[in-house]
Amino acid sequence: MSKILKKLITFYHKLGSYPWFYKFSGIAIPYVAFISLILLFIGLGWGIFYSPTDYKQGDVYRIIYMHVPAASVSQSIYYTMTIAAIVSMIWRMKMAGIFIKSMAPIGASFTFLALISGSIWGQPTWGTWWIWDARLTSTLVLFIFYIAIISLYSSFSEKKSADQAVSILTLVGAVNLPIIKKSVDWWNTLHQPSSIKLTESSTISLEMLYPLLLSIIGFYLIVLLSGLMAMRAEIAKREINKEWFKSL
Amino acid sequence: MNNISKRLFMKELVSYKKRSSTYLSPIVFFLITISLYPLALSNDPNDLALLAPGITWICVLLSTLLSIQNIFNEDYEDGSLDIFFSLRSTTLSLVLIKILVNWIFSSLPIIILSSTVVFLLFLPPESLTILLISLLLGTPVISLFGALAGALSLGKSSILGPAIVLPLSLPVLILGTASVSSFLNGEDPTFYFLLLLAIFIFLLPLICYACIGALRLHYE
Repeated sequence: MSKILKKLITFYHKLGSYPWFYKFSGIAIPYVAFISLILLFIGLGWGIFYSPTDYKQGDVYRIIYMHVPAASVSQSIYYTMTIAAIVSMIWRMKMAGIFIKSMAPIGASFTFLALISGSIWGQPTWGTWWIWDARLTSTLVLFIFYIAIISLYSSFSEKKSADQAVSILTLVGAVNLPIIKKSVDWWNTLHQPSSIKLTESSTISLEMLYPLLLSIIGFYLIVLLSGLMAMRAEIAKREINKEWFKSL
Repeated sequence: MNNISKRLFMKELVSYKKRSSTYLSPIVFFLITISLYPLALSNDPNDLALLAPGITWICVLLSTLLSIQNIFNEDYEDGSLDIFFSLRSTTLSLVLIKILVNWIFSSLPIIILSSTVVFLLFLPPESLTILLISLLLGTPVISLFGALAGALSLGKSSILGPAIVLPLSLPVLILGTASVSSFLNGEDPTFYFLLLLAIFIFLLPLICYACIGALRLHYE
């Protein structure tokens, strides 16, 4: 047990080192890229061409294979950024700052994708591009949060202070997101007895579920891939004049 | 309140009193925006009465945004913030006093002024006390977020502050307007008041320390 713990701790310490991460990510990226593309290819291909047509919605429902993974990823990215923010605040690990900086635009794009695919799905099924439903509203707020984090980062010229400032904002946002979510729920039940139920407990058939799961995993891997690449690029940007980088 | 805090408090009061634009501009802004709504929406008293709580809350929220740049900026520019941060013991009381004085000068006048919506937007007079209580409980939270945004965006572009404050303030806006509309529907608004109070108490220590952390970034 203590051996595993020791290994984990050394791994954690190694994660903080730029050269080690640069080398490690260089090795990992091709594998991650390969697996994620295969999974996405199978998941999306299966979902779009071979899974059965929904008896109520017809073929429109197939956008679920884009929408659900994007929505799930968009929230998870914020959770990981929160963990990184805590790490960056407590241990001042530089890598955590790079992580937040690199993940914020990725999170913003996936949240945007979730919003757009949701409204494209909503138009034929509910007859409207947008409703002020609780879930849609909190996703929109999440998107605004990402934008605020990105713009706060870009307003600092000093990288170290930018990392810390963004960590503070990410943490405050993480504390507030549940409050926002809860209050949006109240607001929603108060204002409109929603005519469209988004959260019906529909039992999804297995032939639809398997490709969905595959594409969700594929999306997570794509996020991992783009995160690794963005972090690598950021390290290269910060360390361009360092000795270890030149000797690569 | 010890001696240093008292002096800090007096110093803040004096410096706000000297810069009259910092507390006059939110007031002017509030009156102008309130009067825009009837022009743009409708002058029908029934329509306006329905929208009045929401309009008032939005206008209060937007006018408090005007003052967030002022919370720390002057002390930052004239260098007194350096001194406070070199005396490490005063930072927490400094932040608390700054937030308190900012609230007194930018939110309190607007809260008092917002009683005019009874005439301007035909808010039913019996719900005015509810609106005022919700504003009294909600605006301190907005001031907290404003202080954090002001500390983070010290000496930066002024659009950054609103981009941080507005999404964070959503719960306050929702609960504040919900309290008034639930009262108008004949329900008890105490639930929303308690929630607003809970949010404030929960966030007060967190945001204060976040503010200190954010301010310290400028002195590293």
